[in-house]
Amino acid sequence: MTVPSYRLLDAGAARIAVASPLQTLHAHLDMVYPHLEPQDAAGFADVRVSLLPEALWRPGRRQVRMWCDSQSPFETYPVASALPLFEWGSNWLLSQRLNAYLLLHAGVVAREDRAVLLPAMPGSGKTTLTCALHLAGWRFLSDEFGVLDPDTGEILPMTRPAPLKNESIQVIRARPGAVLGPLFPKTRKGDVAHFVPDRDSFSQRHRRARPALVVFPRFQAGAALTCNRVDAAQAAMRLGLNSFNYQALGPVGLHAVATLARQTHAYELQYGDLDEAISQVEQLLESAP
Amino acid sequence: MPLPTDIRHLLQGLHAPLTLTQPQWERVLRRARPVGLHARLAAVQLPQPGLPDPVRRHLLSAQRIAAHRGQALRAELFRLSPLVAGDFPVIILKGGAYLLQDRKMARGRFASDIDLLVPSSHLRAMEDRLRRAGWQAAALDAYDERYYRDWSHETPPMRFPGSPLEVDLHHAITPVTGSLAFDPSSLFSHSEIVPGTPFRVLSLEDQVLHACLHCFHDGELDLRIREVVDIDGLLREGAARPHFWEALIRRASGLGLHRPLWYGLHYARLWMDCPVPASVMERLPTPSRRTRWCMDTLIPLALLPPDPDHPPPLRLKAAQALLRARYHLLRMPPHLLLPHLAHKAGRRLKAYLDGGKPTP
Repeated sequence: MTVPSYRLLDAGAARIAVASPLQTLHAHLDMVYPHLEPQDAAGFADVRVSLLPEALWRPGRRQVRMWCDSQSPFETYPVASALPLFEWGSNWLLSQRLNAYLLLHAGVVAREDRAVLLPAMPGSGKTTLTCALHLAGWRFLSDEFGVLDPDTGEILPMTRPAPLKNESIQVIRARPGAVLGPLFPKTRKGDVAHFVPDRDSFSQRHRRARPALVVFPRFQAGAALTCNRVDAAQAAMRLGLNSFNYQALGPVGLHAVATLARQTHAYELQYGDLDEAISQVEQLLESAP
Repeated sequence: MPLPTDIRHLLQGLHAPLTLTQPQWERVLRRARPVGLHARLAAVQLPQPGLPDPVRRHLLSAQRIAAHRGQALRAELFRLSPLVAGDFPVIILKGGAYLLQDRKMARGRFASDIDLLVPSSHLRAMEDRLRRAGWQAAALDAYDERYYRDWSHETPPMRFPGSPLEVDLHHAITPVTGSLAFDPSSLFSHSEIVPGTPFRVLSLEDQVLHACLHCFHDGELDLRIREVVDIDGLLREGAARPHFWEALIRRASGLGLHRPLWYGLHYARLWMDCPVPASVMERLPTPSRRTRWCMDTLIPLALLPPDPDHPPPLRLKAAQALLRARYHLLRMPPHLLLPHLAHKAGRRLKAYLDGGKPTP
């Protein structure tokens, strides 16, 4: 059998290769990865996947299935939603095999090379705040994965489009400079549209940053801004809880979160207004080590 | 038929350092992952200097996951040890045993459950002890419960709350209704104590035979290439011992396990370059030409990791279906098997009609 023709996406911390006969998927990839120059797809890829339409005789709407290394650990999606399937599926695969790094469930933005980590559970407004900070002039490093190199303590960018969900789509679209991909209504996770980081963030995707600040964000509609310092021991525990692979890394993971918590300032930030939250994070970074 | 290049690299890489380009490495890793051999590859390859950075990262990643799983296995064995009182022998089978014995082949080997073997007269006692200590069995319907009790060689799997590992309690290593069923009492008399633990393990010869049985005469087909890698690892450890091959053949004859041993040796030689002396093969009865042709057609298709660039082809699924049919026939005589399969099919159909997904 012939090898399908792959398209290689270099996100910084990882390279993802994708093959598909679906023209809509390629058009959508062009929209959400507009700053990636064509790459030699024969080079090493951390994840290599195919998105293939399911047989026509199956009942219901035409579905697409994602394959990786002859396996398909995912549910099918309607063919029109191939992009969300690709983004979620390839992130899941990366989370299984990038255990050379500590993977935090966190957005990461930076000023110069000083990074702010925004670790949070789903639904806490992490993606929205990450995108809003980026639109306010911060460098975008990642949304889903905060990738920490335990050997050096540095953060590696994983520059991929950030999946905005439901109400947050309008909130970010309304901000000047926001570039969003197509809207995918009623996916398994609700309405989704991908926020596209700017050209500078993509071109600096191999430039590492040093963590200076950890902010645990929590959006609460209508809430006044409250910001409390989190001590290092508690910050380390919460970083571990917001990690994909803290447990699996054993002593390496423990050492990584402890060092990260000691070398940064950590805060808990509850907010109802995005602009207030942005200026608060700006101030916190100024006083951080 | 010669092995595809990346599978050859993978299998060689389980014993000796590889020098490959990055794209070649990527293909080897893609063959290794679906069959769970990537951490074994890491155990051999990581010590070598000069690995390309991305390759080192992926091997390190695999090694860390394997270490984490190994830790979980040790923790489960630690929890089990107070339940072994010395009134009857408790044998740890397979992965748990290799780890306890600190066998070289256990490095990077993923284990997903713990298999215990106790004399059938003490099966209930051991089960009660596990329950009293907090292990819980998955809820089964009456039919499955009876299947396990009457026709299988193990009890339904049990799990300690919060533990990632299941415990399977066996009273034999072959299905009691199968054509290769034998009296397991000599497994106990040949077993060895593991110093510093209350557990026993099978003798090396019996471990080889058990791995062969499991690979070529039993249950699930996924990940089966790992069993051939196990067989190869055990044989290489045995090959260093005096009189190992004679003892192995004698034991296989004693238990009536010539055939599974022949398959194990054959594929370990063919795929892993296992140093089995030609004289050993000559002393074992060879399967008929027709059987060999069937097995040499089906086994590589069903066991070797498939082409990573494509969904599994139809011929692979067909080969697996045929081998599964063979396992079933070896497991139960037709007068038990047919009603059993009919029951399972009926249940699947009912679940489908009820609107649920078919159960496996």
